[in-house]
Amino acid sequence: MGSLTSLTLKEIKELVRDPKILFGVVLMPLLLFPVMGSAIQVSQQSVEKAIVTSTFAVYTEDSGVVASTMLDYLETNRTVTVIQADSLTQAIAQFQGTTSNAMVYMPSGFSDNVTAGVKGNMIIYGNVKNMNIAETQSTNVVGTLVNIYSYYYSLARIENLLQAAGEAANPDAIRTPISINYQSIIKGTVLNISPDAIISVVMNQSIMLPIMIMVMVMFAIQMAATSIALEKEQKTLETLMTLPVGRLTVLGGKLTGSIVIAVAGAIAYMIGFGYYMGSAMSFTQFSTVNLGSAGIGIQPVGYVLLGLNIFVTLVSALALAICLAVFADNVRSAQSLTGILIVPIVIPAIILMFSDIEMLPPTFQWILLAIPYTHSILASKAAFLGDYWTVLRSIAYISVFTVVVLYAAAKIFSTERIITARFTSKSLSGLFRKRQE
Amino acid sequence: MTDAIVVSDLRKSFGNIEALRGVSFVVRENEIFGLIGPNGAGKTTALRIVSTLISPTSGRVEVFGHDVVKEPDKVRGILSYLPEEAGAYQYLSGMEYLRFMAEFYSHDRAETDRMIKNAEEISGLGERLRDRVNGYSKGMKRRLLLARALMMKPRLAILDEPTSGLDVMQAYHVRESIKEYSDKMGVTILVSSHNMLEVEYLCHKLALINEGVIIAEGTPAELKERYNAINLEQAFMEATQLG
Repeated sequence: MGSLTSLTLKEIKELVRDPKILFGVVLMPLLLFPVMGSAIQVSQQSVEKAIVTSTFAVYTEDSGVVASTMLDYLETNRTVTVIQADSLTQAIAQFQGTTSNAMVYMPSGFSDNVTAGVKGNMIIYGNVKNMNIAETQSTNVVGTLVNIYSYYYSLARIENLLQAAGEAANPDAIRTPISINYQSIIKGTVLNISPDAIISVVMNQSIMLPIMIMVMVMFAIQMAATSIALEKEQKTLETLMTLPVGRLTVLGGKLTGSIVIAVAGAIAYMIGFGYYMGSAMSFTQFSTVNLGSAGIGIQPVGYVLLGLNIFVTLVSALALAICLAVFADNVRSAQSLTGILIVPIVIPAIILMFSDIEMLPPTFQWILLAIPYTHSILASKAAFLGDYWTVLRSIAYISVFTVVVLYAAAKIFSTERIITARFTSKSLSGLFRKRQE
Repeated sequence: MTDAIVVSDLRKSFGNIEALRGVSFVVRENEIFGLIGPNGAGKTTALRIVSTLISPTSGRVEVFGHDVVKEPDKVRGILSYLPEEAGAYQYLSGMEYLRFMAEFYSHDRAETDRMIKNAEEISGLGERLRDRVNGYSKGMKRRLLLARALMMKPRLAILDEPTSGLDVMQAYHVRESIKEYSDKMGVTILVSSHNMLEVEYLCHKLALINEGVIIAEGTPAELKERYNAINLEQAFMEATQLG
């Protein structure tokens, strides 16, 4: 077995057999996300059930035909409690004592106004007792039912007026004379889909890539830092450094072992997160628009470039983590030190998840562009949109950064700093004292 | 007899602290050479330089004719180093740890198996080698590490405080293993210790080191005679006062 293979296998065994890593990196996402998703699903189902079975109250001071037919219409769709009261104040007091979430109030003269062609005003009261979604949604359901009644009532009125005028026309076309059909042009192809729907699909699909990259890089950093710190904590580093194997092979073994565990962690995370999204978002109506025909979505070339992008990103983050972890004495301090790296990884990922780099102020753009991990996110978005030049440019930038960091890591590994380097709170305070002097 | 280690005017500074101040000594092949002195005398620093872990500030060290600074890879191929506070990978079994280490020195599986068999004999851990290292006592760990250091029959074994922190029984077992292995295999051993009785029992030749300087060198008998002492402890005290 080659030295690199031996070292890599040892790294993997050590990391996988550490219960903290096995549980925290691999098992936790597989357990936590599905549990979270199921909890949200149960909660959403309860809300839906509460909305479907919710009852309404109606208090009307009007006994005209519109109010009566409206009440009949509401009663055929839901359980309605008609409130008998002498005044609105009394009705509101009674309404608060019911289990209904919404109360429709039709004032005196409501029907006369509507039949006379004047707008009839009604009020829908929402009984917000527990501050939950079911309460507001129930109020919206009543509003929707009233709007449906309103639509058909207006169609009937228009039809009557047309008959009286002796005109033959479509009442719906008179009520809504202009119909808009939104279409989108992408890379010269006209699609019968609104831009909103496209953006919604692109966001839903492309948002996963930055999350995946961010999570994988963070896992990899933790793995690499732990791997080096474990050597120091277990006092095995000195022995390792006197073995007849190149220091760069030792570095290579650490990088490879960390990448393997990080990828396993990221896969576990994505499976867990996928299940979470599937169960937590099951109540929402996602668009099923297929954008593949417009060249949107990752094509085979894009997959290759994306893989390359993720690989160089991982290697650079690992090398950076190793450079920092060398200065720590144990796993805890290594993880604290490498925690600094989370900032330049998470911030670009979060910003670019929701906005485009060109929408940001120029200074902010340059700051973000200077951070190599911004390019990882940019490349993933560009690969999705088939903009391969941007992907290649990003890969080139990260690669240059990776080479610099690897060179630094190799330097540290090939000198006695790997053994003697220490970064303690004492050395920090010493540094500050020197500055003050 | 050829020279296994030649150390000439070795100096090492860590910032303002001078750990070694012109140390010179020679270790012959097949010899057990002891570097003895109190804590902080510079023993570990000297051993770390010989085993290519750290570089000297000045001076020269050769191991079987190879310069430790210019040819570290060649030196690492012929030596085996056991650090004072060494540990083993806690999530590997003793056997997995030995196999992992043996594979760096062996050319084929048969050779690896031979090395592991040697290690089983040296450590005397038997079936416990199949257990994970995190279940070992301190003494068991040290025996495993000593077995790791000697199993491949290195031309030079560097053992830093091999019995440090061990109880009488474990220390005895470790000392016996070193002595027996060296006699049987003819391995050159450079050992450091602050236990004078231990080095008197183990070593053919000694160098007394204090505050980064070699203050006396010779066989245990020569040193006792030179300082008219009944044991090495007394000889060391005399040498320190005279120095």
